[in-house]
Amino acid sequence: MKIKRYHIFLLFISFVFSFNSYAQLKSIKGYKIIGEDVIFVFNINDYPNIKYNGDPVDNVFVSGEFNNWAKDQWPMSKANDSTYLLTKDLSLFTSDFDWEFKFIINSEHWAEPSSDFENIADAKTEDGHRLMVYNLKLYSAFITDYGNISFKLKGHKNAKKVILSGTFNRWDESGFKMKQTEDGWKVTLQLRPDIYQYRFIVDGNWIEDPQNPSKVENEYQGFNSVIDVQKNVKFQLCEFEDAQTVILSADFNNWTEQDFKMTKVDGCWVYNQKLSGGKYHYKFIVDGNWITDPENTVKEYDNEGHINSVCMVK
Amino acid sequence: MHQLIKIIIAILITVNLFATEIEPPPPIVFTKAEIVNTSTTRIPFKIIDHLIVVEVAILDKEGNFIIDTGSETLILNSVHFKATRAHRQDGRTKSGVYNDIENVKEKYLDVLSIKDLSLEKLNADVIDLSHIEKIKKIELLGIIGYSILKDFEIFIDMHLNQITLTKTDKYGERLSKKVYAETIHDSIDIKLKKHTIIVDALVGNKKVKFGLDTAAEYNQLNEDLDSEILAYFYPSKKLKLTGASGQKMKVLAGKLYRVKLNDSIYFGPMKTVLTNLRKMNSAFSTKLDGILGFEFFAQKRTIINYKKRKLYFIKSPIIEP
Repeated sequence: MKIKRYHIFLLFISFVFSFNSYAQLKSIKGYKIIGEDVIFVFNINDYPNIKYNGDPVDNVFVSGEFNNWAKDQWPMSKANDSTYLLTKDLSLFTSDFDWEFKFIINSEHWAEPSSDFENIADAKTEDGHRLMVYNLKLYSAFITDYGNISFKLKGHKNAKKVILSGTFNRWDESGFKMKQTEDGWKVTLQLRPDIYQYRFIVDGNWIEDPQNPSKVENEYQGFNSVIDVQKNVKFQLCEFEDAQTVILSADFNNWTEQDFKMTKVDGCWVYNQKLSGGKYHYKFIVDGNWITDPENTVKEYDNEGHINSVCMVK
Repeated sequence: MHQLIKIIIAILITVNLFATEIEPPPPIVFTKAEIVNTSTTRIPFKIIDHLIVVEVAILDKEGNFIIDTGSETLILNSVHFKATRAHRQDGRTKSGVYNDIENVKEKYLDVLSIKDLSLEKLNADVIDLSHIEKIKKIELLGIIGYSILKDFEIFIDMHLNQITLTKTDKYGERLSKKVYAETIHDSIDIKLKKHTIIVDALVGNKKVKFGLDTAAEYNQLNEDLDSEILAYFYPSKKLKLTGASGQKMKVLAGKLYRVKLNDSIYFGPMKTVLTNLRKMNSAFSTKLDGILGFEFFAQKRTIINYKKRKLYFIKSPIIEP
């Protein structure tokens, strides 16, 4: 394989590409998302050009738009004879972009995905000619069995196609196909903490989620269903080990002075709280004394001139 | 097919100020503002693609406005607002970077009230922004530009996704001492050419002049630059750009490395497009080597003080790995 030539091709990947998904037959490969981590998975059996190449696999790297297609920056570790893994924090992939990436073996051979991947993007030259290679795509909001939010629609057994559409994909009408289950339809997404609106499209008809009581009126005299995706935030204070009580007081608990007692874990005072996306003000009350979080540089004045620590959930 | 609308808008609109007339006052209200004190308001924003979008109520409508230091005036979207006077053709062609924007209509706003803060005798241009609505799939009421921002010190905080507007006196001094609880750790001088903020920067060790624009979704680098500067630009793909006038063009996109403002303020690789800035340069009668936009603010929590001609920087928190 002429690596140099392929590399030049990759530099000219056009954004304009066609992407047909046959959800029943294909699957998203190359990565999964578990909790806050993206785990890149390279299974040699998925890449015939590597499997039958004959060269020994010394090392495997992840190369993509997120690391400027570096061939030796993101090494994977060997999990077994055929599988390599690399875990990265999901927050590295924060932009609204879809990322394209590939695996590269020995910093030399690009692994070519076979066509049964759902998430392949045709690599194209700058004038739109298809290259005979594929790149893998990583979606920022996407379907994954390991996602944090499952959407379910009961019934509609005779429907041919059910789509989930919402603010998370700007009301795209084709991307998130739901799968038929025993009692209806289901799809699982990975979403960042925020409040989202969504609807289902059942064979072309838009409906709100009948199981979800929270909804808002939309501009078409109907309703959009609303979902609040939250995240667990760990507040901790690793000083004042000898204090009797430490309270987490914040705008999300109405500045309580008693209720949110922190517990001592390994020398640190800890409180776990699920929060929606957004900005929160908080302070610690250490044996009656109000203090800001000494480990957090982000602070703001309130409208009475007091300083609070600030926590941003996004 | 789906969701692959990779089109960028670089809203860089240069418009001329003109005489004001007074009509009944429609106030602008930032609907989600947090009042800190009589001279300071924090306004949360959403990032839509790479645009800073705030929610505003104006003239009985509520909706989205883009915060755009690259726009000279307040712009209202003609899709949602009708101009109050007949269209004047004489010399009222607004020049955009990519194409001249025609059919500019004017609308006068007497009072802009940002909760307790208010400004009088404002004017707004009424322009068709429907192409931005279509591409971004959002309802856009308008664009908030320099004519509104110039009387405040503006803290654009991409960590907390909010803008802090603080009233200043005529020397640019804040009217309240309790505005920022965090420490300002660095500052640089800027120049103003019309409404455009110009910063001196270095790419590698070559001196360059950049414009600073909150609504430039991508940094832009002039393609006519010295090869020693372009050597730090690593192209990776072609993109389609849509200008404020709706005209599309193709540009080469990539990353710009080794940008710094001085020895202590430097940037990681920034997504940048290579483009021809000749048109904008002629509109400003200046020579810019590029525009710094979203990525600049994403990497630096920045305070803009137009009156003092300064930028201040507040440290970003170290985020746990």
